[in-house]
Amino acid sequence: MLLSRQLATRIHAAVGDVVTIATDAEGSGGRAFRVAGIYEPTPDPMRFTAQRLEARLHLPDLVALTADPTDGASADTVDAINIRLVNPADGERFTADLRAHMPGLDVRSTSRAPEGDPFQVLDRFHLAISLVTVTGSTAFLLALMIIRAEERRETVGAMRLLGISRRTLLLEVAIEGLVIAAAGAAFGALIAFGAERIVNSVFQARYDTTLVFLRVTKSIAFRSFAIAVPLGVAAGIGASWTLLRRNILSLVGR
Amino acid sequence: MTSAWLAWRTTTRYRARTVLATIGVAVIGALLFDMLLLSRGLVISFADLLDHTGFDVRVLNSQGMSVSLARTPIVGASEFGAAVKQLPEVAFVSWIRLDRATAAVEGGNEVNVVLIGSSHTGSRVAWRLIKGTDLPDDDQTGDRCPVLLGRTLAAALKAQPGTTLRVHSGFLNQQSSLPPVSCTVVGVAEALFASADEFDLMTTMRGLQQIRGNVERDEADVVMVASAPDAGAAAAVRAIKALRPDLHAYSNEDVLEQFNQNGFTYFRQISIVLSSITVVFTFLLVATILTVSTNQRIGEIAALRALGIGRKRIASMLLWESVLIVGSGGVLALPLGGAVAVGLDRILKQMPGVPDALHFFVFEPNALVLHLVLLTATALVAATYPIWLATRLPIASTLRREVVG
Repeated sequence: MLLSRQLATRIHAAVGDVVTIATDAEGSGGRAFRVAGIYEPTPDPMRFTAQRLEARLHLPDLVALTADPTDGASADTVDAINIRLVNPADGERFTADLRAHMPGLDVRSTSRAPEGDPFQVLDRFHLAISLVTVTGSTAFLLALMIIRAEERRETVGAMRLLGISRRTLLLEVAIEGLVIAAAGAAFGALIAFGAERIVNSVFQARYDTTLVFLRVTKSIAFRSFAIAVPLGVAAGIGASWTLLRRNILSLVGR
Repeated sequence: MTSAWLAWRTTTRYRARTVLATIGVAVIGALLFDMLLLSRGLVISFADLLDHTGFDVRVLNSQGMSVSLARTPIVGASEFGAAVKQLPEVAFVSWIRLDRATAAVEGGNEVNVVLIGSSHTGSRVAWRLIKGTDLPDDDQTGDRCPVLLGRTLAAALKAQPGTTLRVHSGFLNQQSSLPPVSCTVVGVAEALFASADEFDLMTTMRGLQQIRGNVERDEADVVMVASAPDAGAAAAVRAIKALRPDLHAYSNEDVLEQFNQNGFTYFRQISIVLSSITVVFTFLLVATILTVSTNQRIGEIAALRALGIGRKRIASMLLWESVLIVGSGGVLALPLGGAVAVGLDRILKQMPGVPDALHFFVFEPNALVLHLVLLTATALVAATYPIWLATRLPIASTLRREVVG
């Protein structure tokens, strides 16, 4: 038989050991099996909190272990049958046909429709949370940009007196905003990449699984960039525009 | 002039930045409040749902509390129910059976429904009557197939109490040898554990038998038990386990414990992670705004110190500024958080199989207290560095630098 890594660790079993398996805690009717290998269970996000204490036997061995001698049918009973179709696109038709032939049987496709996928819902939930975060951050960014613009009031006034046009100054602010926003977004992506390893190792250790909980992909980094940079530029221009609209003399305090 | 008044004058003088910083705190605070509501919301809502039915013990034929159409039923439900009812620890017993069927009004299209057969009527089981009358007791009615429609099914079929439904055992497009049965809609009800993505049709056990072609099958998917008030759920569970060791009996506390360990873990953890991030985020942003703002007003602060205003009052003024921004943002965060929670709850309830009556975000006074404590602590900590800057500045050199600058 094969043991899951978690079970092998729990019972201190290694390849080649002989392990007795029984269907009750007293060990009555137990049978001895040799551990042929130890495997890592396929990570399942739907069951990541479950302890994967699993053993894999050949079906005849399992039936011999669990069958009820008084019930002849129990030796020919299974919990589930996995089917691979020749043409995966026929899944829906095949499911309907099988249900029609065997009423009461629970027939399900292993591929989930988007509307029935809980991870699609979680995706929408996370998107909504990130929108709220972006809104809050934008308000803070605008406040900071306004403070910064006020700080440079006299400098802007002096530049205007020297003949530098509003347009040039606005372009300068836009470029400055672009550089700061791009640097901020890049720094944010770096933090996310760093956090990815920490979060995954914490949760993988907590649940004893190889499931990946957080993955910062290029597309996510690009999306963050695509949102952060225009917002940063817009906040910079918006905050400076109130200053640039003012009379030159008021800018230099005259 | 008190420090609080000085802080108020400063915040009103720099109106735009104050308003924007307050909006920022309000939005991030709303997210923090929502995460606090999420941290225990699902458990509170689920406990409320379980308690609402009036039953505190559930008996199933296999481990785990998920009641699905693929579950192995308890055979001999009536006999088992009667035996359980005889136990001194038990006050009341009811059982339900789930099946698949299709339903249609005359001339209308068929839809797949979850058929819920109940041994007792709604007020003692798991639905709330919205319109019409409840299901009659099997023993007291001559009606062949009375049905209650779930709210969403009633809307989909445009059916009312009195409408006749054609109910067919099995799935849509399934070839079935059983003939369709005409059932009378007696009312519209909201099944407590019904999810938004399914249509529920509730009937009596006799109605269920009619729909299944009069095949008598005395089975139940779940037997629900109300323990005797003087015995309690734990004693009832022990008594049922002694009566039928092959079955699995769970008290509401057991169900909640399982739910807490499995289904709810993800939301509790995301709530902890996001609450921590929002608190750190609020601290960083408020501290940055106050620091930049203090640096900008460094000459002004030096002048106040030169006029004889002490370090303590300056520190107190900056602390008040922080409290004003975080406090007003925090208060605004409550209604905003409530509104955002409604939207987020709506998104999460799209998960398949989540009962419509279950909520992910549930208000409890502890969440409000924790929200206020966290924001107060954030305001105090965020003001620390600007206070340190302002109270340690050298008055003469700062004023000279400001004048020369």
